Parts: sequence; C-alpha cells; structure tokens
Amino acid sequence: MTFQDLILKLSAFWASRGCAIQQPLDIEVGAGTMHPETFLRVLGPAHWNVAYVQPSRRPADGRFGENPNRLFKHHQFQVILKPSPDEVQQIYLDSLEACGIHPRQHDIRFEEDNWESPTLGAWGIGWQVMFDGLEITQFTYFQQAGGLELAPVSAELTYGLERIAMVLQRVDSVYDIEWAPGVKYRDVRLRDEIEQSKYVFNSGVDLPAGEFGAFHRKLFDDYYCLAEALLRSGLIWPALEHCLKCSHLFNILDASNSIGVTERTAYILRVRQLAIGVAKAYVEGTAS
Amino acid sequence: MERELLLEIGCEELPASWLPGLTNQLAEVVVAELQGYRLAPETPAETFSTPRRLALRIARVPERQTDLEELVNGPPVSAAFRPDGTSTPAATGFAAKQGVEVAALERLQTPKGEYLVYRKRQRGKASVDVLPQVLGGTLRALTFPKLMHWDAMIEDGRGELLFGRPIRWLLYLYGGRVVPFTISRAVAAQSGEVQDVTTGAVTYGHRFLATSGRAGHTIKVRSFDDYRNRLLENFVVLERSERHDRIASQLDAKAQRLAGRVSRAVHSDSGLLHEVPDLVEYPSVVAGSFAPEFLDLPDEVLTTTLVHHQHYFPVEGEDGKLKNAFLAVINTEPDNERTIARNAERVVTARLRDARFFWEADRKSSLESRIERLGTLVFHKKLGTYKEKAERIERLADWLAREAFGASAEIAALAARAARLSKADLTTDMVREFTELQGTMGGIYAREEGLPEEVWKAIYFHYLPIGVEANAPPARVDLGKAAVTWAAVSLADKLDTIVGLFAVGERPTGSRDPYGLRRAAHGVFRILVDLYELTGLRGRPSLGMLLDGAREQHGSRSDVAEFMPALRPFMLDRLRYVLDQRGFDVRNVRAVTHELTLKEIVPVDSRRKLEVLPEFTESADFQQLAVAFKRVRNIAKELPADRFEVLETTGPVLMWSEAAEKALADEIDRRKPAIESAVSSGDGYREAFKQAARFKPVVDKFFDDVLVMDKDPLVRERRLRLLRRLEALILKLADISEIVAEDSKSG
Repeated sequence: MTFQDLILKLSAFWASRGCAIQQPLDIEVGAGTMHPETFLRVLGPAHWNVAYVQPSRRPADGRFGENPNRLFKHHQFQVILKPSPDEVQQIYLDSLEACGIHPRQHDIRFEEDNWESPTLGAWGIGWQVMFDGLEITQFTYFQQAGGLELAPVSAELTYGLERIAMVLQRVDSVYDIEWAPGVKYRDVRLRDEIEQSKYVFNSGVDLPAGEFGAFHRKLFDDYYCLAEALLRSGLIWPALEHCLKCSHLFNILDASNSIGVTERTAYILRVRQLAIGVAKAYVEGTAS
Repeated sequence: MERELLLEIGCEELPASWLPGLTNQLAEVVVAELQGYRLAPETPAETFSTPRRLALRIARVPERQTDLEELVNGPPVSAAFRPDGTSTPAATGFAAKQGVEVAALERLQTPKGEYLVYRKRQRGKASVDVLPQVLGGTLRALTFPKLMHWDAMIEDGRGELLFGRPIRWLLYLYGGRVVPFTISRAVAAQSGEVQDVTTGAVTYGHRFLATSGRAGHTIKVRSFDDYRNRLLENFVVLERSERHDRIASQLDAKAQRLAGRVSRAVHSDSGLLHEVPDLVEYPSVVAGSFAPEFLDLPDEVLTTTLVHHQHYFPVEGEDGKLKNAFLAVINTEPDNERTIARNAERVVTARLRDARFFWEADRKSSLESRIERLGTLVFHKKLGTYKEKAERIERLADWLAREAFGASAEIAALAARAARLSKADLTTDMVREFTELQGTMGGIYAREEGLPEEVWKAIYFHYLPIGVEANAPPARVDLGKAAVTWAAVSLADKLDTIVGLFAVGERPTGSRDPYGLRRAAHGVFRILVDLYELTGLRGRPSLGMLLDGAREQHGSRSDVAEFMPALRPFMLDRLRYVLDQRGFDVRNVRAVTHELTLKEIVPVDSRRKLEVLPEFTESADFQQLAVAFKRVRNIAKELPADRFEVLETTGPVLMWSEAAEKALADEIDRRKPAIESAVSSGDGYREAFKQAARFKPVVDKFFDDVLVMDKDPLVRERRLRLLRRLEALILKLADISEIVAEDSKSG
C-alpha cells in the first residue's frame, strides 16, 4: 500500500463512517489539532464529525534529511468525532483493518498517554496506540480546549501516516516509503527536508549575525498585534490563523536557540492567551 | 452461588500503574457501601483487574438488610405538653412528621432533660432492592489519579459521573440474577452511537482473540466460577498473579534459549516485571535482537531505551554483559511471533540509532566546555541558572569534604571538580532525549574523558540516594573510590536546592512539592544517617552546620530570620520520616528528635541512640522514669529557661535543706560525665542511657519528700533550678517523656 493509498483508504473509511472530509489548513501548524476544524469545532454543543490530512511542521525535529525517523514536516491523519461514539475504539481498529492491518496478527495496545498543549490551553485523556511496540496513533478524549471545559466530549484520533506506511511497507527509512507507484518519499520530500532544516537551524542563511532571531521575533510581534486586533474585531477565524502563525514562529525561535528558557515560557503564555481569547469568542458567538 | 455477588466494571484500557491500587480500593469501597446499606458481607471480598476490567466477587451477601431501629429526637417534654396534659403544636407537629399519633411517642431522659422521641423501626429491604444503590455509591466512591468527563450521569441527584476511563459495560449479578442499574448519558451527547450503560449478565473476552466466532462477542455469565472460566476460554487471565507467573516463567525460558538471562538490573531496580502484568490480559513473550554494533553504547543507554521507552526486557549473558537481544511481553497468542518480533526490532533499532547519534555528537564537546551553556538553562527564576547552581555546589562540595567530613585537600578538590561538572550533561542531546539519564550520562561522559573515578562516579551517582532504606542504592561497593566525593557532591546539590528554594519562599505545602524538596531532604538524611556505612567516614556533622554552609553560598538572598524558622520543622519532620521508615519505634524517634535546634540535629547520633534505646524502654523502671520525667518537665517549666541560664551563670551556689534535694544534686553530678561524654563523642549511648535509667529512685524520693513549689520564692527557685538541671542533662540524650506507654499516659 502506497502512502497515497493509505490516505485514500483512511479518507474513504471515515467518509463512510459519516465524517466530512476536510482539507488541510493552508498555513503552517505543528499538529492537526490546531486546524479550526478541530480547535473550534470541539468547543460548544454542536455535533461534528470530520477527517483530514494535516501536514505538520515540527522545526525542532528537522534532521537535514539524515535521520530515517525524524522529520521537519510529517503528515497526520486527523479525525474528530463529536460526541465520541461508544464504539470508538472498535471503529478505530476497523479503520486499521481497512488499511490492511489485521489486529489479530499483531500486538495492538492502548497505553496510557494523556495529551496536553500548553499553547492551546488544551488537554485530554487518552492513549498512544501501540502497534508491535510502535506508536502509530494518538487517541484523545478532549477535556479542555482554549481553557474551556468541553461538553460533549470529542474523540480525537491522530494517525502518524509516515509511521503506519513504514510498517505496512516494511521499510526502515521514511525516505524509502513508496508515496505513489514508482515515486519514493525521498523524491517528494527530501530536498524540502534538507532546506527547511538549514533554514530553521539558521545554518548558512544569508542574514547578518543576530538578525535571524530578531527577524522572527519581529514577525511574531507583528502577527501577535494583528491577531489581537482581529480578535477585538470579532473575526475569529482570521484571529486563530494569526495566533497559529505566532505559534509556528515561536517553534522556529525555539528550534534555532534564539530564546532563553524564561523567555520561552513568556512566549508560550502569550500564544495561549490568544488561543483562550479565540475559544471564548467562538463559544460566545455560537451561543448568541 | 445463591447469594454470590459478582460485579465487573468493563472499562476502556485503564493505565497500568493504577490497577494495583484500584483493585484494593474496589474491595474496600464495595464492602463499605454494603455495610452502609446494612448488608455486611458474610465472606471477604475478592477483587481482580485487567486493563479492561475491575472485578469483585463476594461469596455470600445477606438476602435482606438488617432491620433498622433508631431514635428520632423530638421536642423537650416541657414544651410538648400544656399543664392540662394536652399536647402542644410542637408535639403534634413532630408526631405528624413521623406519621404517627402523639401517643406513639416515647419519653427519653437525657442529661439535658426529658425529651419526646420516636422509635423508628424499619424492616430491612430485600438485597436486590438495595444493591443498585450499592453500585451507584461504588462508582461515585472510587478515586483515580486523574478523572475524565465522558458525558455520563447517574440518577442519584449528583449529576455527572466522572471516571478514570469510559465504562463500556457492567456485569452485576446477585445470586445469578442481574441487578438492574443504569448509567445514563448527558443530553448534549445523546445520539444513535452514544447509549446508556445498563447492567447485564454478560462480559467480553480479549479484544482480538476468541476460541470461536469473532472476537469481542458477548459472553453470558451465571456465577463467578463460570465468569473466570469463560474469560480464560476467551483469552483473559483474570488473576494478576497468574499473569505475572506466566510472564516470569516465559521470560526465563526464552532467555535460556538465548543462552542468557533477564538482565539483573531490570529485576532489581526497575518495576518492569511489576508493571507488565497490568498491561496485558493474555501475556506471552517474544524474543528480538538488534545489531551487535549497538552494544558499543553504554549499558545504561541500552537499558533505558529498552526498559523505559519500550517496556522490553534486556538480556545478559552468564558473564553479566548485555546481549544484543531483548524480550517483549505481548498481549496475544504468539502464532505470529516472527512478525511481531521483527516490528519490535525495527522500533528498537530506530531508537538505538537515535541514541548512537546523540552518543557520538555529545562526545564532541567536553563537559567543561558545556558549563557556559548551562548559563542559558534556568534552575529557578529567583535562583539563577544551572551555571550559577554548579558554581555554588562546587564551593559547597569542597567545603563539605574538608569541614564536615575532614577529608584531605586532594579529595576536596576532586569533589569540587565533580560538583562543577555535575550539571553539564543537562546540555547534552542524550539527556534532552532520555531525561531519566541525567547524572548517569554526565558520569559516563566524564569517564569517557578519562576523569578519575573519584570524579566520574560522584557525578554518575549524585542524584542518588532516592530511597531511604538502608539498602537503597548506591551501595558502598558501587561507589568504589568515589564514596567521599560522591557524598560531598550529592549533599551539596540537595542542600543547595533545599536552602535556596526555602530562601525564595518555595516551600512544599500539603501534597504540593513541585521541586521535590521532601525527596531531597530524605536524600540528605539517608546520607547522614548512614555516613559511615556509605563512606567509611566517622564525621558527625550537625544539620545546622551543613545548612549554614549551604546558606553562605546563596549570599544575602533572603533574610535568614525569614526562612530558617520554617526550615527547622520541615527538616525535623523529614528526619523523623527517614527514621520511622527504618523501623524505629515512632515514640522513640520523637524522643530523640524532640525540639532540637538545627545545631543539635546530628542524624547519625539520632540513629545510634535509637539503636540502643529499645533495650531500655521496655523495662518497667524506665517506663516509670519516663513518667517521672514528664512530671519533671511539667514542673520545670515554672522556671523560665532564660532565668535558669542567668541563675546557672551568676546565681548563688546551691545549698540544700532537704536530704532528697542533696541526693538528687549528687546523683546529677555523678551521672553527668558519662552522659556528656557520650553526647560529645557520639559513642557510648548504651552506657549513657544506663546512667540515666538509674535516676529513678532519687527522682521518686525527691518528689515524695520535697514540695517543689514552696511558698518561699528562694527555696522554690532553687528546687526548680535543680529540676532544670536534671531536665537539661536527660534531654541531651532524649526527651524520654515521649516514651511513656499509651495507657500510663492517659492515667
């Protein structure tokens, strides 16, 4: 099964289970949770079932294309089921079967792993799903987002697509994954990985010394001001997107060692305040 | 089976670490609920757990509640009847509330007067009518380390039901019949796929395995024996001990096939074998291997990767060296052993490859060169960076080695070197990835750099000790030449943390101890109490001296007067905890750690006193002396301590009018040298207590013959002064009034 087949199979499975198939958020994020289809939809009482792929950027995990398991950018397949159906674990296992993983032939386990995102003011209870010792999915019952209690409770399933593809294709390096017939992951992504790593680790970037950090700090501040203005104006979607821009800039500053530890906490807190403001405004908006 | 109660709470996978506690709790909670509903079980509760179920069986629960008889208090008789004997509204109102006539009320004589009462008799209900509430109460009463919302409610007036994980089914049988009960779902969540959970007579087997048909089908159950057997048929081993034994024996067998054994490191200091039975319902073991070249990594890295990250067991050869193999406990039948092992190997290899990358990258910079980078790592916002901490403990370790331990300048310099480098590994990639290896990695990198054993081992072990038991690691033999340097670095690190955080107001409160100060203090006392066994040092440093040394390194961070008073009770409590944990009698521990000042707290002396004290405390004479001493202490209070000081230095020489006075004074003079010598040398406490025990007859005679509180103020003061002298002398050993046995205390 190719990488693209895996995406198609999961999409078809969840579409047949009543999910709307959404598209990735078209700005840089660290995880599918940040997509408004998750972050906003889990708030408030409205039921919602959705699935989508989310390319996710983790600047600190960039390895210049040299590490077979770590990537600057990986792909998550994200599913939100609100409310969480009673049979959600079984449905999830059925989705693995749909991709050609037969639970009876493997050791599949749900091991405690609670999820928390300090920048989003969000946390949940759940498991990492272990497949023969490899974590392939994060399974979370959302308890709070944007600092707000959630009712009903949503189930969030986040599949690590590269990991599942590596298992299905029995390859030891992510770059050996067959993306499409005759096309390797390497062909699609390697150069991207190398250059993105050089960028975030400020290695050979033609900027005067010290400018790299300053430039991104300024971007952060500018986006932050805009996000606040948008939030004041009641434009919640754009406000969230600019909050996410800040979150990504923070990740770059962090990965490139441009901020100290104390400053780091302050940055997290600022993004969190925005996220909380957005969540509150969203809930108030839907209530009225 | 007729009166058997069987309960199974079917859950989505519960965290392994919760299961042992929950299993105990379930028995306690159900029995308490049954008793509360007057259905005290006739046989003990047996409880079981797997990741997907909490189960309880009680062989015999009564068929009916016991009848209830209680007295309901009404108004006083004086207010209940008019002089003509007719009842007042107070009486009729009370009777009406109870649903009876006034004539049916009784009178009860109480210390406060005569009252009207109603003797309420309630016939016990049939158990089946009460058992639903028992389950409701049980679900409410179970506590979890972390609770979750799952849109569930119980109709008991308390609304939402939080739980550890969502409940998927409830098996609840009494005498083989289902006891009805329902967990309903929040309106907001109601949909075709979110349903109420109602009790039934069915359970579920293993998620993926079944003897016949599709896994996950319902299994009908009639009794506990039936339940257990049907579960086993469906690949669930209910008893934890049985899962444990299966795992242990398969581990041994598989390890033998690899010509090795399960690494002893795992058996002794990690809870892995303790944890895995709670991760599986139907365990088996598969063996995997990794490329031999990874054996070049330090054992600690290999073990951490396998044990902490993958829950796999490392295998070692007869020579004690790790093999390039591991054993994985899986939750299924192993007919696909190879596939599963191959996948596990792939995960292990990926992790080891990462570790090797860190191992090679980290060694490109020396620990010394990393110290600058510590300047970017904040230890605490008011206490500065780890660089500053490293500099403080460098000076402190040097001082401790010389002043507190009396070690040579050479050793002190090595201790200082180790302390300076002890935090440098926080900047390594390996520790960033495997945080549990902090200290350990620093030690290994120091060894790789060729630093002497006194230095690298001191770094390696400096986060220890963690346990307070006498055999908690590190052991003397593991410390080798580094025993003294290690003790200095470990103490310096912990004292610096405790003093620093107290100085900036970060004190532990209740269950909140985010900086682990209690654990740090336990480490301090474990080292001090066992200083000789751990290091061969005979030093007896007082806590006051050590804390002063640590405080000096913090400069004028905070007003000492502010935090030292809070630090003293904290440290005393921790010392008592450590001594209690060693199995010393709680009263004796209190006696030797009474209201000591920090300067008087010499942990190793406390331990030595406690080792001889039980030889005395059981004797009747000593017990009586304790009672007498309590009296001494009570009366001696009449003379303020500062006044006593003045009198002892500038007051008149004591002259005796009574023989008993003189006898006591002479006795004090006679016993004083042995006691004082023991206290100052830290040796001979047995003799000292023996001397103290001999005070009894003269003290008794003194109290019999002499009235301390004489009306002549001079006589009174003189006698009080004598008692104060006695008190001061005995207190040097212990506050033996703490030893008074419970029954004579109340008398």
